[in-house]
Amino acid sequence: MDFAIKFAFDIMAFTSVMVLIVLGLGVIASMMGIFNFAHGELVLLGAYTVYLCDEYGMGAWTGVILAPLVVGAVGLVLERTIIRRFYATPIIAMLGTYAIGLIIREIVRGLLGGHYKAIPEPVSGAFAIGGLEFSIWRSFIIATTLAVIAGCYLLLARTSIGLRVRGALENPMLARACGISTGRLYALTFAFGAALAGLAGALIVPLYALSADIGIRFLVQAFLSVMLGGVGTFEGPVLGAAAVGGMAASLPWVVIPVLADPLVFVIALVIVRLRPQGFITVGRL
Amino acid sequence: MREAKLGRRGFLGSAAALSAAGWAGSIAGGLVLRPSWAHAAGPIKMGIATDITGAIAPSGNANWQVAQYAVEEINKSGGILGQPIELYLEDTASDPKIAVGNVRKLIQERHVNVVLGGITSAMRQAIKDPIVNRGKTLYIYPQLYEGQECTKFLYNTGPTPAQQCDRLIPYLIKTLGKKRFAMPSANYVWPQLLNKYARKVIEANGGEVVFEEYYPLDQAEYSATISKIKDGNVDSVFMTIIPPGLQPFVKQLYESGFQKSGGVLTCVYYDENLLNYHPAEEMEGLVSCLDYFQAVDDPFSKKLQEGYAKMFPGTKYLFTAGSASTGMYRGVKFYEAAVKATGGKLGREEVAAAMDHAVLTEGPGGGAEMVPGHYHAKMNMYIAVCKNEGGKTRYDIIDKASMVDPREC
Repeated sequence: MDFAIKFAFDIMAFTSVMVLIVLGLGVIASMMGIFNFAHGELVLLGAYTVYLCDEYGMGAWTGVILAPLVVGAVGLVLERTIIRRFYATPIIAMLGTYAIGLIIREIVRGLLGGHYKAIPEPVSGAFAIGGLEFSIWRSFIIATTLAVIAGCYLLLARTSIGLRVRGALENPMLARACGISTGRLYALTFAFGAALAGLAGALIVPLYALSADIGIRFLVQAFLSVMLGGVGTFEGPVLGAAAVGGMAASLPWVVIPVLADPLVFVIALVIVRLRPQGFITVGRL
Repeated sequence: MREAKLGRRGFLGSAAALSAAGWAGSIAGGLVLRPSWAHAAGPIKMGIATDITGAIAPSGNANWQVAQYAVEEINKSGGILGQPIELYLEDTASDPKIAVGNVRKLIQERHVNVVLGGITSAMRQAIKDPIVNRGKTLYIYPQLYEGQECTKFLYNTGPTPAQQCDRLIPYLIKTLGKKRFAMPSANYVWPQLLNKYARKVIEANGGEVVFEEYYPLDQAEYSATISKIKDGNVDSVFMTIIPPGLQPFVKQLYESGFQKSGGVLTCVYYDENLLNYHPAEEMEGLVSCLDYFQAVDDPFSKKLQEGYAKMFPGTKYLFTAGSASTGMYRGVKFYEAAVKATGGKLGREEVAAAMDHAVLTEGPGGGAEMVPGHYHAKMNMYIAVCKNEGGKTRYDIIDKASMVDPREC
């Protein structure tokens, strides 16, 4: 029993990390049709914000709160200046966002001198329930992830803002004719996705230490999650991320670790082959 | 040409400005540091091929700075038998494909007398042939590594598995009483060959390897491994995981209470840089074994650190053992000793013959001497334990072994 609880907690903790990272990517891909290859670097900027706050004595908590705001603002600027030129050409958008990511990543690498920086957890240590110890920070990540999923879902599926965003994506011309400012909505959506990436970066950086590559190591699996879950819904990418994260954390228990990594991809690709529309096909947002 | 206009001072100035901004600068055209004086016979041309950019740039830049420091020292005291050393830098960019072309430039265009550098084993394998075989030039490799490099005209100046394990593992088993080993490792050549050697030493000393496991270099989740460590009653983790897979492993091991319940984490590439890669409490009690630590109480080593800090004030790139810097310093000094022994002759055969018997009376962590016919050097080895005092980490030296045999070739 003890083992089962511990195992479930470990899997949950890593799955939450994966879901957090995928959320922002999924929102932008589903709502705007843009595959944001700079997503890993938006995660990095969130992590870097925490590092800066910690370095200048403002404390890691301040960083965790500031990160989504700062990265959201960066997202807004990026959308207004660059991303908005790509809506008609999704393939070019991939290249463009990749270039943005590369620039951000290499600037941060330069600022860090290529080194890794350890970031302490805002609350470290563990709490015990029934003789079992659980890391406080990992528990916090799990709780935050659940809260963020619920919040995003309500915002996008149950509010008029969410409705307008979907309307603008489905038929921009008609949406504009109805008096919806599509440009502003896209900008807000992109900023929102970026803010989610910033939050993810801020929350995971104590676990992995800050380096310029903190975002890209998760990027490929994040895209796999979106593919697996299906673009066009909110739940799809979240479920996809849960599946990929769960597999990545549990496969090393049954096969040797070097095999686990490629196996995640093999299994995911088989699922995609069988369900090319993704997990969710009805009730599209 | 950029280099023609750039004097040593000018370069140092601009390099300092660049590194202050955080970038070592792209050096696509290579760099030359000319001595401030000349000799009728011309300068001795020393090529440095190291990773100025890319994933292991922190180590590469430390190497380049240490090379400059060692050469500056030699040139200030009159060069080698009156001949100054001219330094040529080529970036190997943490990428063997780029490296091969750049190293060829050192040989074919610069006609250097010796090449020092390469940090990873993949890099050494890629550049040794263009240097030693096709380039017919002497090559000095400075990093601690997995051993078994017995190429003629290739001299290794960093520690070997024997030097890192022969004293350390008996210390773990006999002194600390930790007998059940786990070997979590990154999946590439250095951990595999080092583990092979370490396993022999563990078994010869009455220890037991509970499991030896390899991970993708960027693995982010280790709960399966941590559970094996707990279930196997492992009390000694001999780790060869490298960043970026490193930090999540160390954190999960610490969270599992491994150290609290008496377990010991050992990693033989951990120098002063690596301590900053983790929160201080996770590093408490970590055991490392290297040819030098800044805590080593040796007047000459202290003087080296002071001189280095004066030449590169506030640098991000420390003079440490794990980043191949100590091997680089030794390499430059071994070459100096060898050329002195030939009476200033620079032919590869003559220098190599002298190199084989070269002796350094002092250096970082103490002197060193080449083992004739074996392409590796005897050197002092230290075992150090990390201490955490109020969030600040440091190493305490707990054992010194003098002139340990490399046992290679």
